[in-house]
Amino acid sequence: MIWVWIALAPILGGLVYGGERVLRARMQRRQGPPLLQPFYDMFKLLDKRTLIIHAPHALLALAHFAVLWFSIAAIFLGWNLLYIIFLHLFAQILLILAGYSVRSPYSHIGSNRELLMVVAYEPILILVAVGFYLVSGSFEIAEIVKGENYLLQIPLLFAALLIIVPIKVKKSPFDVGEAHQEIVGGIEVEYSGVFYEFLYMSRFLEYIFIYSFVYLFGGESHWLGAVLVFGVFLLVNLVDNATARVRPAHMLKIIYTVAVSLAVVNLLGILL
Amino acid sequence: MKFFTPFRKKSPWVLHYNAGSCNGCDIEILAALGPKFDLERFGVINTGNPKQSDIFLVTGPVTYRSRERLVELYSQIPEPKVVVAVGSCTATGGVFRGMYNVEDGIDRYIPVDVYVPGCASSPQLIIDALVKGLEVLEAKSKEIEKPYKLFGAIETIANKLSRLNMATKVGQNEKD
Repeated sequence: MIWVWIALAPILGGLVYGGERVLRARMQRRQGPPLLQPFYDMFKLLDKRTLIIHAPHALLALAHFAVLWFSIAAIFLGWNLLYIIFLHLFAQILLILAGYSVRSPYSHIGSNRELLMVVAYEPILILVAVGFYLVSGSFEIAEIVKGENYLLQIPLLFAALLIIVPIKVKKSPFDVGEAHQEIVGGIEVEYSGVFYEFLYMSRFLEYIFIYSFVYLFGGESHWLGAVLVFGVFLLVNLVDNATARVRPAHMLKIIYTVAVSLAVVNLLGILL
Repeated sequence: MKFFTPFRKKSPWVLHYNAGSCNGCDIEILAALGPKFDLERFGVINTGNPKQSDIFLVTGPVTYRSRERLVELYSQIPEPKVVVAVGSCTATGGVFRGMYNVEDGIDRYIPVDVYVPGCASSPQLIIDALVKGLEVLEAKSKEIEKPYKLFGAIETIANKLSRLNMATKVGQNEKD
């Protein structure tokens, strides 16, 4: 059963992305695209002629997608949280290498910004994992979901996670890495056709990755987890519609002052 | 593949290029993409990246400065692709026709599929033109399409099509 869910993970993420586009359209009082729009886009991209810069560039996108899918599988199978975070980091590094491997300056700027984003959110993810360990006594997800309601025990870590969710799902105010019309997609700029589709689908998997961290805060109660995920989903889209993009250095400053101090205060509170 | 062809008209991604326009048509295009006319309900995304787009929206009579970029952008869009000429200037040259510094419409340089009249053309007309362009897009094959001018040879490197020297500079090509 769990293998079916792992196989369906990109489709699940695609539905979340399609629902999000509809939701954002309704927030702006317009009709918006159909719910299945991401899948239409994917089928269309299969029908386009593909332009390849050089083979490693195209293969790195494929590898990024595969490693990301593997880390999602590890989440569903309930493996070690630290292992999952570093697998995800490995997937990001493959993507950054792909950005540096072509000569387009937009691709390089995108890679620089993607590195800054990794530097910004990675400490928070690790501190959240440490928080789970201190409260539940294990890094294993299978053990963590047996505990009860982490929201009351580590509320400030949840707030810190909330701040970095827009970075992972590429939403304003922290969508510096992609930044459409400013650096025309950053790393995505040289991809087309089938290989762009892997980047497009890896975006769906990022949704599942970060929202499963939110889900973990519900503990053994599936209802609380689902409510948390839905609430965070609404909040992130509201903030996305209401704010403008910040500069990369400014983003780093916000994360390192607000989010890291929230997380550290919470950890000190547990330890002392 | 036959199975995927119907999905072309469900997700047209747009590349918008200003070839020396007065910004009148550009503002109408942005109005059509905005919340009131909501082109996104047809699945349109304004990508800003030629390698991922299907429909090429061009505004403005082609000025001397912009023609190289026009042909370069056109040859970077992977097939199938559709060109929509938005506004009188883009279709015929408009009020600038015959002037020393413009090229009297983009169809001297690239093949155009849909012409939109109007100065500036209204958002409703632009939406109509896009929907018309979708029919053209669905009927097209994946054959390579060439610009009329500023065009180098079609080269293949190891049996793969190379687009490196497709678009040439103004001085390089004898035909120009």
